[in-house]
Amino acid sequence: MGEKTDVWQGTLALMVLRTLESMGPQHGYGLARRIEQTSGDRLQLNYGTLYPALLKLEQEGFILSNWGLSDNNRHAKFYELTKAGQSRVKKAAAEWEQTTAILARFLAPAEDA
Amino acid sequence: MRKLRAFWIRLLDLIGARRNEDDFAAELESHVEMHTDDGIRAGLTPEEARRQALIALGGAEQTRQAFRERRTLPWLETLWQDIRFGLRILCKNPGYTAVAVLTLALGIGANTAVFTVAQAALLRSWPAKEPSRLVRLIAATPQGEEINFSYADYRDLAEQTKSLEGIFVYNRRVKMLRVGAESRAVLDDVVSPNYFSVLGITAQAGRFFTTGPQPPSEPGVVISDSLWHRVFNADPSLVGKQIWLTNQAFTVLAVAPPGFRGLERMVPTDLWIPVATEYPSQELADRKNREFEVLGRLRPGATTEEARAELDSLGRSLAQSYPAADKARSVSLISERERLREGMIPTLILMTAVGLVLLICCANVAGLVLARSDARRKEVAMRLALGAGRLRLMRQLLTESLLLASVGSALGLLLAVGLLRLQPVLMIPAEVEVGLDLHLDASVLMFTAAVAILSVLIFGLAPAIQLSKTSLVSTLKGEGTGAAKGLRRWTLRNALVLGEIALSVVLLTASGLVVRSLLYSRSLPLGFDRQRQLIFFDLIPGIVGYHSERSAVFFEQVQEKAAALPGVRHAALARRVLLSDSGGGMSQRVSIPGVELPQGQLSIPIKFDAVDGNYFRAVGTRLMQGREFNSGDNPSTARVVVVSQTMEERFWPGQEVVGRQIVANGTACQIVGVVEDAKVNSVHETPEPYMYFPFAQQPSAEGTLIIEADGNSKALTARALSEIQRVDRNVPVTVRTVNYLMQQAFWADQMAAGFVAALGALGIFLGAIGLYGVVAFTVSRRNREIGIRMALGAERKDVLRLVLGHGLGLAAIGTAIGLLASFAAMRLLATMLYGVRPTDPLAFAGSAILVVFVALAASWIPARRAAAVDPMQSLRTE
Repeated sequence: MGEKTDVWQGTLALMVLRTLESMGPQHGYGLARRIEQTSGDRLQLNYGTLYPALLKLEQEGFILSNWGLSDNNRHAKFYELTKAGQSRVKKAAAEWEQTTAILARFLAPAEDA
Repeated sequence: MRKLRAFWIRLLDLIGARRNEDDFAAELESHVEMHTDDGIRAGLTPEEARRQALIALGGAEQTRQAFRERRTLPWLETLWQDIRFGLRILCKNPGYTAVAVLTLALGIGANTAVFTVAQAALLRSWPAKEPSRLVRLIAATPQGEEINFSYADYRDLAEQTKSLEGIFVYNRRVKMLRVGAESRAVLDDVVSPNYFSVLGITAQAGRFFTTGPQPPSEPGVVISDSLWHRVFNADPSLVGKQIWLTNQAFTVLAVAPPGFRGLERMVPTDLWIPVATEYPSQELADRKNREFEVLGRLRPGATTEEARAELDSLGRSLAQSYPAADKARSVSLISERERLREGMIPTLILMTAVGLVLLICCANVAGLVLARSDARRKEVAMRLALGAGRLRLMRQLLTESLLLASVGSALGLLLAVGLLRLQPVLMIPAEVEVGLDLHLDASVLMFTAAVAILSVLIFGLAPAIQLSKTSLVSTLKGEGTGAAKGLRRWTLRNALVLGEIALSVVLLTASGLVVRSLLYSRSLPLGFDRQRQLIFFDLIPGIVGYHSERSAVFFEQVQEKAAALPGVRHAALARRVLLSDSGGGMSQRVSIPGVELPQGQLSIPIKFDAVDGNYFRAVGTRLMQGREFNSGDNPSTARVVVVSQTMEERFWPGQEVVGRQIVANGTACQIVGVVEDAKVNSVHETPEPYMYFPFAQQPSAEGTLIIEADGNSKALTARALSEIQRVDRNVPVTVRTVNYLMQQAFWADQMAAGFVAALGALGIFLGAIGLYGVVAFTVSRRNREIGIRMALGAERKDVLRLVLGHGLGLAAIGTAIGLLASFAAMRLLATMLYGVRPTDPLAFAGSAILVVFVALAASWIPARRAAAVDPMQSLRTE
């Protein structure tokens, strides 16, 4: 069970970091919506699971959070990337690309091999 | 790195838990509100929008739980819960907790203390660089192995050896260090100048001896760190200054590093003096003058065998070249480390013994835990029924045991520190500092922690497993009396308790005997009055170069000045002090006109003292016949002597003695008095003939001024010291009191009594705990039976009798075994006992009565509990 969560959390973390990188500071709700949108609504995200992932990233020092005002003048906690977070996105993205590329080769039709 | 950072943050959040929780609640609320806003904008009613938002979130409470788990460290939180719960449980049963903790503290404390001693004696790395390469030279002679060499032989060996890269000598001596008005004995090692460099030791201040061929122009000395602190208050400017040693000025060259105490662990060196300063060269050249121990360091790459072979051939050539001194002596070597390990076996035995004590302690605590956990089975079953995991439960129970052990070890450490502090008290009083360098360090703390964990495994694991195996249904239904299951353990534990009780009987009998022996010894007449405030000033004018006539003047002046001091009842002079450690072999050959000596000898040696006319009055030795000395007995008058009662009875039984003559060392002396027997060397010696000569007629360059003080002896000591200084400030003085003499004289007896009595107390304590555990366990097992008995008409006192009978029955069997064992074992003590026979009925009866009494007390508590059983409740719930 733990392994599965880790994989999931790992990818979720990457999604969060990547979204923050492209959109700038964002609150939890916005992040959740954005991730859903980006996945083309194919990802059914339980919004609640986002918060432990955010907390973990914050504890690890990749992101930091501050209270601010949303577009609709609501109080919300905004998350943004730290320097460490920025370099982490690049590294993790590269790693992920490599992993998927390798996997893609395995999953490609047999006559290719 | 990142993981560590996250761990710390989580740990910190664990402490400041509250605020973040609120923060997250606000964040969640804002999340839901924003989602609801979006829903309303999309055309939903506010209620529906909020419902949708909560669904998408996946439940506010679940989210909060997931967040909480990530935020802090849940396992730590559980542990903290367990600890708090454990503390509550332990505080609820203060009696049980106190007894268990105390038992563990005794076991762990004793182990820690013994380990510290073992470590100081054996394990602590030697204060030298690469100690494994240090070797000790030994000589095989027809008389056996020797470790002493002459300096000349050492020089030859040092010049010729190739397998040893360094080789040095040392010789232990005593010097008098002047501190203010007093002098005190210090231990010095006379060493070759390369001593420190071969050992590989660097000074913490100053520089060690130069190793050049020229002896230093002025005498130099290296002092130990301990002496530097003890006497010189760690004066940083001491190096380069002069100190006075046995009336000679020495320049302090250096201070040895802390922890370096010379080469003998029990008897630390205070200072080091080079050979050339202490010995005239002709003495060093004398090959028969073997005063030095020789140590060397193996050259890197050289093996012990090679070095041994080489030394063997060097030794042969020495024997050839100097047959007068070195014939039939061969030289060899042993590893210095190996030699130090000789102390290993007694230490191992001691470690095993205290290890066994710890085992007994653990068994006892296991008994307590078991007795209590039996009573807790309902609680455990209830918790199991409420869904607690068995592993979780075991963790909780082990946490409780760990708590007991932690508190126990903390207390045990304190106990160990206390025991180690006792060392100066336990060592024989001596004029020099002796004893091991004992202190707690990291390795001792590690050892204690390991012992604590080990004891938790021993006493905590079995009850925890057993308890967590509690059968839920049968216990809640009340079938959990499980007599059959407990039966086997019951007999094993009974045997253990019997053993404990028997052992405590043996130990108590032994302590009874030893204490009675001590009391007897203390009541023995010593031949002087120990109640008097006697102060002894040992004076050695000989050191300053006084010959006997000048010394006589000196002593006379000192005595006169001291006698004139206010608060002085008597001031007397004596050559030696009774019961003091200054040997006792001082004797004169005596022949007695008209008396046949044993085996037809012409003369026999008889011990003597030289005292002045005030001596008997000052120390309280009773005069039986004749007169004391007076100022008329001086070098120019006729020789006189006072003899002891035993001497009188031995040589002139039933006859008039005063007026007779003896010939001592060729001089005729007239007997002028008879005094009672006095103890010369030890309290336990059998009286032998003894003589007193007038101080003035036995000139000597050393002696003791004895003052009998009126009251405050401290102030008087200072005044007397300054009076002595005024007569001659160069004569070394050491001060002793009558208490010091008594401590020294009774040291061995007191140690034996203290040690055996402490063991006895420990034994009876453990026996009581063991018995209590067994009886309490049985009571909780027989709860239902007791209920039935009471329901059938048994009265409370019957129940009380039943339980007490069980405890006392065990105690009686144990005591009987113990008495039998004592009967056999006490014979071993016979040589240590004075004035009491090893079969002394009082000691035997006393220990038996004490044990039975303690057993009664130990059974009383569970018996009262059993008698308080409410039959209705017991039958209903069980």
